[in-house]
Amino acid sequence: MSQGFDKMTKKGDNPKPRSLEQTDLFTRIVSFSPKLLILILILPVLCGLICVLLPALSWVPALEKTTLNLQGFVDLWQTPGITQMAALSLATGLVSTLLAFGITLMMLAAFFNSVWLQRIEHLLSPILVIPHAAAAIAVGFLIAPSGMFARLISPWLSGWELAPDGMFPHDPYGISIILGLTLKELPFLLLMALGALAQPELGKKLRQQYTVALNLGYYPIAAFFKSVLPLLYPFLRLPILAVLAYASASVEMPLILGPNTPPTLAVSIMQWFTDVDLTLRIKASAGALLQLALTAGLVGFWLGGEKVIKALCHDALINGKRNYADALWQKITGVLTIVVIGFILLSLVGLVLWAIAGYWRFPASLPEQFVWLHFQSAFTQMGTPLFNTLTIGMVSTTLAILLTLLCLEAEQLTAKRLSHFTSLIIYLPLLVPSIAFLFGLVWLQQLIHHQAAFFHVTFAHLLFVLPYVFLSLASSYRRLDPRFAHVAASLGAPPAKVFFQVKLPQLFAPILIAIALGLAISFGQYLPTLLAGGGRIATITTEAVTLANGASRRTSAVYAIMQMALPLIGFIIAWILPKYMFKSGAHSTSTD
Amino acid sequence: MDVITSLPVLKRLTRYSTYLMTLGLCVGISASTASTETTHANEPLSAWQQIEAQGSNQDVYFYAWGGDPQINAYLQWAADQVDDQYDINLVHVKLSDTSEAVSRVLAEKSANNNDQGSVDLIWINGANFATMSENSLLLKQWANKLPNFALTDPENNPTVNFDFGVPTNGMEAPWGQASLTFYYDSLSTSTPPMNLDELTAWTAQNPGRFSYPKPPDFLGMSFLKYVLVMLHEQQDAHMGQDISAQLNLPATEQNTALVLDPLWAFLDGFHPTLWRGGEQFVQTGAQMRRLVDDTELSLAFTFSAPEVPAAVQRYDLPQSIRSYAMSDGSLSNTHFVAIPYNASHPQAAQLVANFLMSPEAQAKKQTPAVWGDKTVLVQSTLSPEQQALFKTKQPHPSALPFDSVKRTVSEPHPSWVEAIQQGWQARYGVSP
Repeated sequence: MSQGFDKMTKKGDNPKPRSLEQTDLFTRIVSFSPKLLILILILPVLCGLICVLLPALSWVPALEKTTLNLQGFVDLWQTPGITQMAALSLATGLVSTLLAFGITLMMLAAFFNSVWLQRIEHLLSPILVIPHAAAAIAVGFLIAPSGMFARLISPWLSGWELAPDGMFPHDPYGISIILGLTLKELPFLLLMALGALAQPELGKKLRQQYTVALNLGYYPIAAFFKSVLPLLYPFLRLPILAVLAYASASVEMPLILGPNTPPTLAVSIMQWFTDVDLTLRIKASAGALLQLALTAGLVGFWLGGEKVIKALCHDALINGKRNYADALWQKITGVLTIVVIGFILLSLVGLVLWAIAGYWRFPASLPEQFVWLHFQSAFTQMGTPLFNTLTIGMVSTTLAILLTLLCLEAEQLTAKRLSHFTSLIIYLPLLVPSIAFLFGLVWLQQLIHHQAAFFHVTFAHLLFVLPYVFLSLASSYRRLDPRFAHVAASLGAPPAKVFFQVKLPQLFAPILIAIALGLAISFGQYLPTLLAGGGRIATITTEAVTLANGASRRTSAVYAIMQMALPLIGFIIAWILPKYMFKSGAHSTSTD
Repeated sequence: MDVITSLPVLKRLTRYSTYLMTLGLCVGISASTASTETTHANEPLSAWQQIEAQGSNQDVYFYAWGGDPQINAYLQWAADQVDDQYDINLVHVKLSDTSEAVSRVLAEKSANNNDQGSVDLIWINGANFATMSENSLLLKQWANKLPNFALTDPENNPTVNFDFGVPTNGMEAPWGQASLTFYYDSLSTSTPPMNLDELTAWTAQNPGRFSYPKPPDFLGMSFLKYVLVMLHEQQDAHMGQDISAQLNLPATEQNTALVLDPLWAFLDGFHPTLWRGGEQFVQTGAQMRRLVDDTELSLAFTFSAPEVPAAVQRYDLPQSIRSYAMSDGSLSNTHFVAIPYNASHPQAAQLVANFLMSPEAQAKKQTPAVWGDKTVLVQSTLSPEQQALFKTKQPHPSALPFDSVKRTVSEPHPSWVEAIQQGWQARYGVSP
């Protein structure tokens, strides 16, 4: 530990802040934490990838295969429909990301500096915490041939007495998947954009530029695209890439909404991995590597596209044109926003109706009777999963918050931003398709200690919670006014005291939001819980997905509502508590 | 590190803590007398008594499909029973597919974990069993020594010693029997098809109202096996051949085309009359059931007949649903519980397996309102009191009427599963 510290202090080129010269325990822990962070994030992902590489080359001692060859890749290539699988993964990933990003930009542009942006954010942010599986079920219910839309027009308009033979969900083009993913990722991107705009310096600068542009006669949307977006985009790049990586390799959405002749590549890999025929695992590992390549290709394509668009639009930025059919775009965006929100609301209404529905034959718009039976029977079986969900969420989130705070403190103590490398590493679990490294990771965890399922699951959750918590806290931490800390330090307060008594109280609200976000992310994890826990650790989410595949829409609706309720409670607490606590504390610190 | 294994113990501790507190003193006093008593019982124990002694008071992780709330509730009841009888903490690990547990045991074997496995007991049959058996992943010669195994009359009842034609060699204990049951929405169709020929005629008249789960789903494969067996029975009767006999032998390169070509020819004509024109298939039997509730499908089938009335009672299917068995034959098989070779608590798992085979547990399981799974016990081996446990009450209108399975058809050799799967995948796995 002390070695690490020495290195850090010697390496610093900047004039060292005063506090660094005191090598108290707190400072040492703090300055070691970025290394720990990198270790925690990079080791499992890399080891997981290596442990998937070996089986892909046909090295599986358990099956008595110990010669390296390319049979797995040959089998993969000969799989019927492999190109369709890959194309479906690529297309759904790319199109849904483009749509989510496009709609985010249109909303930002049309409602920039308007109260509506906040309102839309409030309406959409609950979507963030809905697990993908639950969202997929809700969307599927809307667009199915017997879904809410069909019920609303039957039989008076359509003449359908039985559900018609429709196309959605499971359409061969992946439109249902794209719809589900877009609706799910849109709030995330919007929130990330608003998070960046909330940074005081950047936000102030962008708002000033925007006002200047308006004063110069630019129409609002043009003003946004020309004066705000070029500076805002760099803050959105990593979230977009994470969305792109997730969308191209996710399992739950395509499983519930996608076609199965053939399914997407990720779903196929998952099925091969869990197939009875154990030799299929070699093909699955090869497929995991192909998935990795596809996702990497998409990310590369996006980065290349950025450059092209930048080059193409360079002239447009400074050509002085002030209006690009602004009024029309305003209208389109308005309609689109209403459609998106209406769609989400209608699917939520559907979810609630299903959770309390008795018999509900097509084409009735409402159930014949409302019953609490589904809630009652779900609650009698929910005890253990609920306990697991909460404990795993709390432990992984606490660890993530501690580590994040220490790393951000290290950044301020050394007066050096985390290196580009570290920032990228934080995103690693979000950028590498989880299906590619989780199987290897589980194999590794088995090797180390096979009985500690709770520990393994919590650790796997930490990998996914950490990036979000870090993202959520970093901007608030970095925009803390350093003068408070300087004043406290000059009054003789040691770094630990400054950290605990000056900085943390000011960060009370952001920390609570980060905790709520971390819990929400942990609550929603399916693949890591299932794989790392070996199915032994049941959470609300694993139960919901199992039931979604195995039982009634009504029970799934109950679980989906539970999945939404838990994180929502967290967020509500995170919004309310700061209104009553540390509010005066922060002020008194500032007036000290 | 072992947080989760200690949790149930903790729970039990809190449950009993009140008793413990009041009894603590008494236990302390009587401890000396108790220890002298146990030293008296020093005569050699029978093998089963040893298992009882070693298996009591342990955890058993039972990996079993968890997609049906009724079955889950039954297992919860079983857990309470073994807790009372042996102090065993039975934990139902709910799988969405049994192969997940197979993967787990394999992963443990590859990580050289040969005696601390996480799976103690597994609900299994057919291809999963064949795989585990081939890879030596199961404990051998224990099931045939369970006291309750005698109640299945194993000498005269081959279904408990063969799993899809593969000898069990004492690696698995029979748990229940299932046969393929069809159900239909009587508001959408009044005359359901009663045999394979009627089925094709029915789907032609009602296009898009029938489908089957996409292979390798267990239920979808069962439907294809039913079709295959029926096609060959018809063909053999017509042409005077005996190709049906090939179904009980392993699939080889020589006989595969001969046996399967009629199936593909049938499906080529059948698929366009199915849901979504046979270009998309349902993923599972449960999804199929949901589509019946949605009125997209009017006819479906299941391997667990009691799930149908249970779903109606839970509002998951309309009240107009009726169950029946095909008159030309119902594909039937037995399902088992097995113990992985590396189970952490093999003795406790045997106690649980024996309990699951007890007349009490089997009768409870056969009750339609509980699960309705047919017992593996043979009535003639039971005492009159035990037989009385199996008497049924008035069935639900949507339930399969008593004795409606007129003729059972046994499962083809498990190697045909792989052959059908590959052929199906190549022909229909990718829609044009």
